[in-house]
Amino acid sequence: MSAWNFIKHFPCKNLSRHIFKDRVKPLCFFTSYTPQSSFSISASLSTSYSSSSSSCFTDESFAAPYLSVRIHCPKHVLDSFSEALLCFGASSVAVDEDIEEEDEDAASGSSLASKEICIESIFPVHEEVKMCISQAANSIGLKEIPKFKVEMGDEQDWITKNQDLFQPVEIAERLWIVPEWTSPPVPEAVNIILNPGFAFGTGEHPTTKLCLLLLQSLIKGGEAFLDYGTGSGILAIAALKFGAASSAGIDIDPLAIKSASHNAALNNIPLEKLELHLAPSENSSSGREIPLQKEQFDVIIANILLNPVIELADHILSFAKPGATIGISGILSEQLPNVIAHYSPFVEDISVATIGDWVCLSGTKKGDFIDN
Amino acid sequence: MAAAKEILTRRPVAATIRLTVPAGGARPAPPVGPALGQYRLNLMAFCKDFNARTQKYKPDTPMAVTITAFKDNSFEFTVKSPTVSWYIKKAAGVDKGSTRPGHLTVTTLSVRHVYEIAKVKQTDPFCQYMPLESICKSIIGTANSMGIKIVHDLE
Repeated sequence: MSAWNFIKHFPCKNLSRHIFKDRVKPLCFFTSYTPQSSFSISASLSTSYSSSSSSCFTDESFAAPYLSVRIHCPKHVLDSFSEALLCFGASSVAVDEDIEEEDEDAASGSSLASKEICIESIFPVHEEVKMCISQAANSIGLKEIPKFKVEMGDEQDWITKNQDLFQPVEIAERLWIVPEWTSPPVPEAVNIILNPGFAFGTGEHPTTKLCLLLLQSLIKGGEAFLDYGTGSGILAIAALKFGAASSAGIDIDPLAIKSASHNAALNNIPLEKLELHLAPSENSSSGREIPLQKEQFDVIIANILLNPVIELADHILSFAKPGATIGISGILSEQLPNVIAHYSPFVEDISVATIGDWVCLSGTKKGDFIDN
Repeated sequence: MAAAKEILTRRPVAATIRLTVPAGGARPAPPVGPALGQYRLNLMAFCKDFNARTQKYKPDTPMAVTITAFKDNSFEFTVKSPTVSWYIKKAAGVDKGSTRPGHLTVTTLSVRHVYEIAKVKQTDPFCQYMPLESICKSIIGTANSMGIKIVHDLE
């Protein structure tokens, strides 16, 4: 009987396990990439680079089409209608705050205009918009299907708006992060030129600031630095600017590697000083290793997220020389005890820096324990 | 002076945005990209923040996010556990609700399912002080509107 399928399918007692993690899944494995690959990445990038920098970094998933739908909704059911739309297929629902004040839609003219509010909604490209809207309306008891208009989404628009947000950032006295398309406000300072594309790391985020300040205090000259989760490459590049002998950057996102290569070139960093490696995501079947020597680095910083940082603790630490300094960030202060618990068997002299809700933990790798 | 101070501390709101984002999986691609990009919100900051705050959930669980975008391009957001309809669909093993709720019943669920869903929903910031019974009633309402009947026991 079909009812039994539901019971088997959905164990009532353990609903929370479906939602909360009881076990952390590993988020990356590693592959071997010959150094040739970093050369080829930069080579292809220099030919495709143009003055409209946004085009370098859009790939299929970012330039994905979407439907932009504007719906006229009666004011009194705004909340329930928004929720219903999300249940029945909308990806997002946005309501402008001050539309109510304006005289919207001359076409609809009448007094109805003041009782209606405009919802901007985004739908996946293959969704049946009309059906979703009518199901949503039905589910909250609306008598009529609201008026709506569908347009193809303009991805260039939001990509450009996003780029425009990036302004020069002063991290510390005489340390600036400057967008590629702006000239440095303080030419004599240490200026890191960046075009982050869609990789993380513009210097604006508290975690990036924390890591940059940590790095600045650690690099005296001649160190080997590893940026685990390099994103835009900002930390790897900064280390070299502070005087490190060499930097290596690892990321699971190919767009990050692309971005980091591009930024290395922007800062005139030769390839032998900055090597970049793509770590394959979990879905990759190969079990090859990243071609970096164990116990090679004097300073390692991993600015990622709680789960990867815990899952990869052993792996990250394996690249550190005994006595090396490790920095971990991308962690919220409430997550700190968890990270400390995982790292303290291997790391001593732990200190913590905080900006807002974010923390950066640093310590030195203990010299004497069995390394696997 | 007191009134002026109050105006200064209440930032003007530009818009309220609601969307569903997989836990730990926010990326600046659609729908996050265009939805937030429209209001010039910092996409990477949102993604990092959202991903960090949803680390405790099973990866890719669709989370209901409500973002308040302020006119100065700053923002705040709250994250809630998956929507009731998501739980219902998962419990019932169906992809979408009925095309004609009230007329066509797609499937049935037991009150035990409803109770379990209500317990999880009660952990939401906004539902914490709601009596379980009200939450259950709301779940039953949503289920009915999706063409899913609630029965006492699945035979």
